[in-house]
Amino acid sequence: MTDEMIMEAVKNGDLQQASLLFERYHKRIFNFLARMTMDRTVAEDLTQNVFVRMIKYRNSYREGARFQSWIYQVARNIFSDHYQDVKNQRRGFIDVEKIEGIMADSDDTQMMDEREELLHKSLARLDPEQRELLVLTRFQHMKYEEVATIMDTTVANIKVKVHRAIGKLREFYFEMEKI
Amino acid sequence: MDKEKLETLLIDYIDGKLSPEERRMVEQEHLQRSDETYKLYEQLKEVMQAMNRSSQLEPSARLRASFENALQTELAGSNKGKTVWLTPTFYRAAAAVVLLAVAGAVGFVINQQREHAAQLAAAQEEILKTKKQMMDLLNNQNSASQRWMGATVAYNDIAHADADIIKALIKAMNEDENSNVRLASIEALAKFNDQPHVRQALISALSTQKDPVVQIALIRLLVDMRAQGLKKQLEQITTDDSLLPAVKDEAHAGLLKLS
Repeated sequence: MTDEMIMEAVKNGDLQQASLLFERYHKRIFNFLARMTMDRTVAEDLTQNVFVRMIKYRNSYREGARFQSWIYQVARNIFSDHYQDVKNQRRGFIDVEKIEGIMADSDDTQMMDEREELLHKSLARLDPEQRELLVLTRFQHMKYEEVATIMDTTVANIKVKVHRAIGKLREFYFEMEKI
Repeated sequence: MDKEKLETLLIDYIDGKLSPEERRMVEQEHLQRSDETYKLYEQLKEVMQAMNRSSQLEPSARLRASFENALQTELAGSNKGKTVWLTPTFYRAAAAVVLLAVAGAVGFVINQQREHAAQLAAAQEEILKTKKQMMDLLNNQNSASQRWMGATVAYNDIAHADADIIKALIKAMNEDENSNVRLASIEALAKFNDQPHVRQALISALSTQKDPVVQIALIRLLVDMRAQGLKKQLEQITTDDSLLPAVKDEAHAGLLKLS
């Protein structure tokens, strides 16, 4: 059964089917939000919000729309709200130095790979839009077409922006490597 | 070539998105010619591979538990029928049903009213027809029998006499040369005695009528009606020597009944 068929069923009142969509998407959404927030605990809370919103606002799902695009749009909106809240509270959004601790899995005693840590720190220095583009296209291997649909823009525009973001990430990455 | 253009070419090269000719061009004109470009290529490749290889993070069990919890809460809420009632589809369907019902009811009422109006119009037409027929008969100066029939129609077929009919009947009662017509008119008027001026006309007729047959009929009718002011009239009749004894006797009998 396709995601779209399941979502239609949920929309028509078969709420139990929402569990299937949670199974299929919660890890992806969690990873997206974890890399956006650089905080696993916050990412879990936000992921929870995404799926609660999926159930509560199931009627806003348009028939025929790609479910993946819709759920990512919900996730983006939730991240955007969170980002605004953090900004309004004048807290430093991401403390680059704390990333290792926050991003490490508490259940996993193994420390984060040095290279991966450097990657996360570089990623944290990008602005949210650039970070988002790289998370979607490079970490989550989404096609430019899919990202263009989620962000409601053209494929060409996405490509240009992704390439710029890679260029910027390279700068930060090798800048910090020298330290 | 500016840096952004070069970077984008190298990224496409790393992504394997270039044609064989383009690849050869990148290798020959950039990577082999410039150490700096080659370094840029190496660095881009490293960050791109790092992103590609980056391990997927695992959420804790807490996430699934809290989702299941939220789902059960929502399910409990929807079991009350809340969500079904709130869906736009339901509203649209309900609105359509209501609209149909209202339209049907309005249509039914309009139809009923129309039918009712048609019946009323037919009845009124019938009454008018009867009235015209009756008046025509009553006004026929050439035939007493026609006039008598007119008075009989008034008696038999007219339920509610209007002013025109009463006037015509009173005229026939007082002035018609034929006593049968006058008698028939009295009978018809008696039917409408609930109208005060009809009673008044009947009592007045008692003093003006000279035909003994009509006088007797009037006395009987008025006594039965127990008309007000009748006693006085009857007493005058009993003392009037110009009247026939039969009329006087009827007046006496009437007075006895009324006493």
